[in-house]
Amino acid sequence: MIQAQQLTKTYGAKTVVDQVSFTVNPGQVTGFLGPNGAGKSTTMRMIVGLATPTSGQVLVNGRDFRKSQHPITEVGTLLEAKSVHKSLTPSAHLRSIAATAGLPKSRVAEVLELTGLTGVRRKKVGGFSLGMGQRLGIATALLGDPQVLILDEPVNGLDPEGVAWVRQLARQQAALGKTVLISSHLMSEMAQTADHLVVIGRGRVMADAPISEFIDNGLAQTIVKSSEIEVLINVLGSQGIQLRRIDERTVEVTGPESEIIGRRALENGVVLSELRPLQRTLEDAYMELTRDAVEYHSNIVAENNGGK
Amino acid sequence: MTTQIQTPLRGKVTLLGVLRSEVIRMFALKSTGILIALAVVLYVAISAGATWAVGSLLENMGDPSQMQGMEGMGVMSDPGFASETLGSGLVFNQLILGVLGVLLFSGEFTTGSAVSTFLASPQRLRVLTAKTILTVVLTGVIQVISTLIAFIVSKPIAENYNMTLEFVSSSFQSVLWYGTLAVIMAALIGLALGVLLRSSAGGITVLAGVFFVLPIIISIFGSYVDWMSNVSAFLPDQLGMSLATPLSVPTDLELWQQLLGVAGWIVLPLTAGGILLAKRDIK
Repeated sequence: MIQAQQLTKTYGAKTVVDQVSFTVNPGQVTGFLGPNGAGKSTTMRMIVGLATPTSGQVLVNGRDFRKSQHPITEVGTLLEAKSVHKSLTPSAHLRSIAATAGLPKSRVAEVLELTGLTGVRRKKVGGFSLGMGQRLGIATALLGDPQVLILDEPVNGLDPEGVAWVRQLARQQAALGKTVLISSHLMSEMAQTADHLVVIGRGRVMADAPISEFIDNGLAQTIVKSSEIEVLINVLGSQGIQLRRIDERTVEVTGPESEIIGRRALENGVVLSELRPLQRTLEDAYMELTRDAVEYHSNIVAENNGGK
Repeated sequence: MTTQIQTPLRGKVTLLGVLRSEVIRMFALKSTGILIALAVVLYVAISAGATWAVGSLLENMGDPSQMQGMEGMGVMSDPGFASETLGSGLVFNQLILGVLGVLLFSGEFTTGSAVSTFLASPQRLRVLTAKTILTVVLTGVIQVISTLIAFIVSKPIAENYNMTLEFVSSSFQSVLWYGTLAVIMAALIGLALGVLLRSSAGGITVLAGVFFVLPIIISIFGSYVDWMSNVSAFLPDQLGMSLATPLSVPTDLELWQQLLGVAGWIVLPLTAGGILLAKRDIK
């Protein structure tokens, strides 16, 4: 279990993580989602004691990780690919990490096998692709068969087969009762892996809920088309319902379910030519949530947002 | 496939474990072997070369006892001088093994492996302690071995020129043990620079500055400002040489003052390094 309490980190005048509180429970996969630069990595680095919070605290299994006497069996962490000396081989790197905690050499062979690195265990890490480096990072995280697994953007650079494997691994670890925290900037990735989501934007927690609630919490949106649309606009508008004119015969209604809109139309004798509930994907929900919290806007993203 | 194994892993992190981890990594790196080989070969070559040079100089000059009156030459007739000649490569080994010390810590930060290291041992001072022990033992052993090989190689050369080179002489024992202390001091200064500066190039530059540039600067100012010449005796290169080769590099300092100086050069940088290591974030 991971408990972040009012976690704050500032670098000079810039607040990177701002009063972040959340709990990551065992037995499920928690997705840590946010745009690039939202403070995900900094938060994760504070969880494992590499960065010191400016204020607030974070506990792993009820304790400060820096005091852990069994660090690699308690927490397995992947922070960035290639946090390994370039001149080392995977085998030497893993053996050296295993040695700190007195783990047997056989465990090194197991994680090499598990991550598909057995064939390259004597090759230098410097020549590895991002994907291979990522696999070595995951092997390092799994080395101690830890109770808590923290993976920062684990699917970066992995091929589709690797992506599916990480997903399966995360689900499997959670099924074993372990605490799993995975960060990503892609909602589509989280949608397939996580049970629970903590969404962060500009260093603040924007949402903390089971993934199912994510869509339900959002208001329904319906496209309504009618030659008598003005009547419907007056009716719905008088009830304070949010409307957006799309063209002279079409509006987008936010709030009421499509059935209620249909009923209002019937009550007022309005003939509808179209009544279409918009399928809200998690991606939409995420975009909406973080639209104003994106640190680095690109024009392409802005255009896409405008198009939806 | 499952990640579960039959017996749950216990995995208590200990100083011995971290030390073992450091040893595994250190000897998996090619740079370690290169620096060690360089240190041994260079030290032996300089010792043998210097013995030969001094020997042939003495031979050309004739009877050494007649040199007593000659400025700076009298020391050459001292029976201990041949032993001290073996310490000629000391500054080079201080620098080479100092670089090894720098790399041992700066490498963590330049390659990003500090992340793995401090995730496996979140107690940062334990890592510094392990690296300190490793540095002391490794550089100590290298310097003792270098000096012993230098002795074996130089002995026949010295005998050829009728110079006395005795293993049991206090001069040789000084070169052997104080020389080793001087090298360990340099390597630990390097280690501290590695953790303070987190940069290999920066650490090596400052190390070279302390051993090669600082003495020059101090000696220039020393001729104008009186107390500066006292400072110069406490510089790490001077302390090392005056301890290991007191005939060639005489000092006004008492032995305890010299040893205190060495202790200062070891303890102060490492303490500063430890404080900053515990405080600063790991990138």
